[in-house]
Amino acid sequence: MEQVADRREIEQVVNEALRELEEAKKDLKLIDALRVKYLGRKGLITNLFKQLGKVSPEKRPELGRLLNEARDTVERAIGSATERAKEAILTSKETIDVTTPGRIPIIGSLHPVTQVTQEIVRIFSQMGFEVVEGPEVELDYYNFEALNIPKDHPARDMQDTFYISEDVVLRTHTSPIQARIMEKRRPPIQIIAPGKTYRCDSDMTHTPMFHQVEGLMVGKDISFSHLKAVLTLFVHRMFGPQVGLRFRPSFFPFTEPSAEVDIQCVMCGGSGCKVCSYTGWLEILGSGMVDPAVFEKVGYDPEEVTGFAFGMGIERIAMLKWSIDDLRLFFENDVRFLEQFT
Amino acid sequence: MRFSFKWLKSYVEIEANPKEIADRLTMVGLEVESVEPRYPHLKRVIPVKITRVNRHPKADRLMLCNVTDGTSTFQVVCGAPNVREGIVVPLALPGTELPNGIKVEEAIIRGEGSKGMLCSGKELALTDDASGLWILPETITLGIPLDEALGIDDFILDISVTPNRGDCLSVIGIAREVAAIYGTSVRYPDISLVEEGPPIESIARVDIEDPQKCPRYAARVIFDVEIRESPEWIRNRLESAGVRAINNIVDVTNYVMLEMGQPLHAFDYDRLADHRIIVKCAKAGDRFLTLDGQERILFDDSLMICDGREAVAIAGIMGGELSGIDFRTTRVLIESAWFDPITTRRTSKKLRLTTESSYRFERGIDPEGVIRALDRAAQLMKELGGGKISKGRIDVYPRPYQRKTIRLRVDRANKYLGTNLSTEEMASILSRLEMKVERREDGDLDVTPPSFRQDLTREVDLTEEVARIHGYDNVPLERPRVLMVDIEPNEHLQLRDALKEFLRGLGLREIITYSFISPSAISKLGFQDGDEKLRTVRLLNPLSEEQSVMRTSLVPSMLETLAFNLNRQSNCLRLFELSKIFIPKEGFLLPQEDFHLIVALVGKRHPKLLYSDEDVDYSDIKGIADAILSFFRITNISFQPLDKFETPYMDPASSADIICGESHIGRVGKLDIRVAERFDIKEPVWMLEFDYEKLFSLRGPIPKFRSLPKYPSVVRDIAMVVDESFQVQRGIDFINSIGETLLESVEIFDIFRSSQIGEGKKSIGYRLTYRSSERSLTDEEVNRIHEGIVKQMLEYFGAKLR
Repeated sequence: MEQVADRREIEQVVNEALRELEEAKKDLKLIDALRVKYLGRKGLITNLFKQLGKVSPEKRPELGRLLNEARDTVERAIGSATERAKEAILTSKETIDVTTPGRIPIIGSLHPVTQVTQEIVRIFSQMGFEVVEGPEVELDYYNFEALNIPKDHPARDMQDTFYISEDVVLRTHTSPIQARIMEKRRPPIQIIAPGKTYRCDSDMTHTPMFHQVEGLMVGKDISFSHLKAVLTLFVHRMFGPQVGLRFRPSFFPFTEPSAEVDIQCVMCGGSGCKVCSYTGWLEILGSGMVDPAVFEKVGYDPEEVTGFAFGMGIERIAMLKWSIDDLRLFFENDVRFLEQFT
Repeated sequence: MRFSFKWLKSYVEIEANPKEIADRLTMVGLEVESVEPRYPHLKRVIPVKITRVNRHPKADRLMLCNVTDGTSTFQVVCGAPNVREGIVVPLALPGTELPNGIKVEEAIIRGEGSKGMLCSGKELALTDDASGLWILPETITLGIPLDEALGIDDFILDISVTPNRGDCLSVIGIAREVAAIYGTSVRYPDISLVEEGPPIESIARVDIEDPQKCPRYAARVIFDVEIRESPEWIRNRLESAGVRAINNIVDVTNYVMLEMGQPLHAFDYDRLADHRIIVKCAKAGDRFLTLDGQERILFDDSLMICDGREAVAIAGIMGGELSGIDFRTTRVLIESAWFDPITTRRTSKKLRLTTESSYRFERGIDPEGVIRALDRAAQLMKELGGGKISKGRIDVYPRPYQRKTIRLRVDRANKYLGTNLSTEEMASILSRLEMKVERREDGDLDVTPPSFRQDLTREVDLTEEVARIHGYDNVPLERPRVLMVDIEPNEHLQLRDALKEFLRGLGLREIITYSFISPSAISKLGFQDGDEKLRTVRLLNPLSEEQSVMRTSLVPSMLETLAFNLNRQSNCLRLFELSKIFIPKEGFLLPQEDFHLIVALVGKRHPKLLYSDEDVDYSDIKGIADAILSFFRITNISFQPLDKFETPYMDPASSADIICGESHIGRVGKLDIRVAERFDIKEPVWMLEFDYEKLFSLRGPIPKFRSLPKYPSVVRDIAMVVDESFQVQRGIDFINSIGETLLESVEIFDIFRSSQIGEGKKSIGYRLTYRSSERSLTDEEVNRIHEGIVKQMLEYFGAKLR
């Protein structure tokens, strides 16, 4: 009969395993290697189990019990050694400096004029207005004549115009788009038209290029109270529902009646400050009922259709939105300015 | 239009204060831009009584005065010769800024405290007397602001009058609006004349040769006037409106213009040849000396006032130097006329000469007010200068103004405005505006506007008047019922917005620069003479040469922006602009307007110092180009050696043209350092340009979904040694051209140079990925295919394996 492991021998193997595990400290790889050495397919304890078949049946239960105990002991020891090692690793000094600057993905920005244009366009799009555009170099006809501003009319003084030739100008407003669209289509029309505009003027409060958004709604029985409702809704969406506004009579050759829209000063809340020249009000857009003369130019019957139009300066709204105090910043493109709108 | 509040109040009875009036005027469309005290500097000047005068202990010429403001007493140091006890004089308190620029402060003068400054009339700009203290009446109230104490406290209102409201360019015009607002009426000045001179027909004559341009011309003559300074009240009113007083005759013409809105002109009757007036056009090229001493060259449509010999005034704009009033004048011919607005404006524009007179004629004066103003002027001239007014007046009026009656449909007006006003309410509003209103049987109104309202010619004009006086704020809000409209999406714009967002995601900052640039900025790019980029749309009236042509390229503005930022120590720049360029089109009035995209990179790859050890290079800018092309789903792209003639500003060794099929759609690479220098840039600039119009038209369709692969892929590499000049893309193109169906993709994983490989050589590593959609590929199968490809490739390029 072959020699069979006895209690002492088993204890020896277990003790050896426990010692080695102890020495492995926090070396997870070594601990895993020890698991293989003792409990693996060809491990020392696994091999002892193979002897079970060789012992006499009466000794078998005893030996089985010893071996099971040995295996459980080593398994537990491996388990706790692993836990201990992981714990040790986590609490070891090899932590990263969590205050190291992050490698921020580079983030760009859209120009504030673009951002405000998109916001205005979005508000009107949600009300069912369609976005259209037109040329920046424009015929005098569309920029003026079609809008009831004949040559030799004092209203031409209201806008300092850049001329390309007798008949061609840089558009002074986005309003020529009204005439172009109406010429091409029949009512109902609901459009919004953003774009660049130009005036021959440059000082603290004027740049020779700036941006406007034009709006037009034409249909049956469109009234001045519709104009008021649409623009009130716009102002409340743009500046918040708490902002008061007023409609003030004014004059534009292509609308009648014409109205300037003032909002309560967003800086002082209406109590009066430098920004609003101590009036409490800020002019933000011009509007009015489309003048019958404009309809006649595009071949609409003013008895059949009515409508309203409006236009606003985008830089002006951007300045109010972000409390920007110098118009010229928009076109200097200093990145220290631009990055504030990231 | 500037005017004094007290002047206004002399024509209309109102209780309201200036601020309230200003608000109400603003809300009927006469925007009041400012309400300022007439004498702001008098607000801190008070009348005080001198109670005691002592010599200054340390200065012979100075006196120590005890003064009282009625409640308290304080000491002021004074050096005026007429200082004495008992007189009442003006004291400027500390903080006052006098019109001569002196700032009054609390001071210690040679050891004695002085609480302000006692003033002369001249120092307060109220009298001309600078000889000593201004001695005020004993009865004046002490201690209150001097303007109130003197009863001259007043406000100046400044109104921005819109071009349609010529009738509001006068104090009476504003008074009419105020009266309409408050439902009261205007007190027009009384005009009564004593005519003692000879009959007008016997002493003067007027002929109008061009009644279209001058529909009415009226005149009076006054003999034996005395030219002198106008009295204080008239000078004060002129000054309040910002008009300088000259002499009584000229002042009256200005005064009546400000009061009634009718520009007038006074001629020296004795300098009018034949004592006659002929209104006719000049001959082109005629010269005329205006009273400002300037010689003007006239046009054939310039309307002139002539005497029996020559021109004496440019009609409605300015009188002549030689026929005006001066101190020798004794006989005056007063002109009151109605000149055509368009004629006046054209001439004024052509001569670049705008006056208070031309400004009013351009905007339309009251044709029926011509005579009233003439008589008013004659009355005032006699009052101020004595003399005898001729009997009767000349009134040549070949084309009398016809008042027009306009029907106002009450229902239509209500529908147009969204109001529910009664016929009576509308009639009442219009009557308050001095319109003649009659009720028609059908319930509508027949309305005849007054002659001074030349802007009211249509029903819609009346509707506006109703809305204006009723108050826009009283019009209710009503949301329009929106119809469902088939809106065609503006894809061009949508994609532009999406592209901007995409570029923002790529870490680029958007800039917006002026569309006009300097012609020299384009030439700095190095184009040959005759290049179409140099053919620009030019402004006739640019603000400066720097902004005189519409740009044909976005490059100059981008480079200027880079330089601007580099000069401000911003060294890591990643910018883009998506804007229009303007190309003149033969045979068309308007240029072609195309959107272009420009991207520029300067500096480090990463803005954070800790991670910024690498500079941007070609791979960065090319990567952005690749990303944009995939954004538009454009395939069939090739990067080709740069055409130096087309793009002289890029470095040909480090730049490429981007070609799609036959179409040149952009360029990418490095800016020529010589060009960079011309824009004061010392750093390398990596730049990318795309023609957005082409990107837009070449954009690919929305892709269909492809099922995910079920079987694993197998990769094999080739490392091939080639000459340095070999373009790596050729290898990819060749491998793809073989058409192996099991080849899924090919990618470059390494470009390697070393001495072992040899001078002028490089090794390119291509990784080929094989996959079948039907089964797992075996190693043997892949090896066989791959070896075939390797063999073909080496043979084709004459290359070696590494």
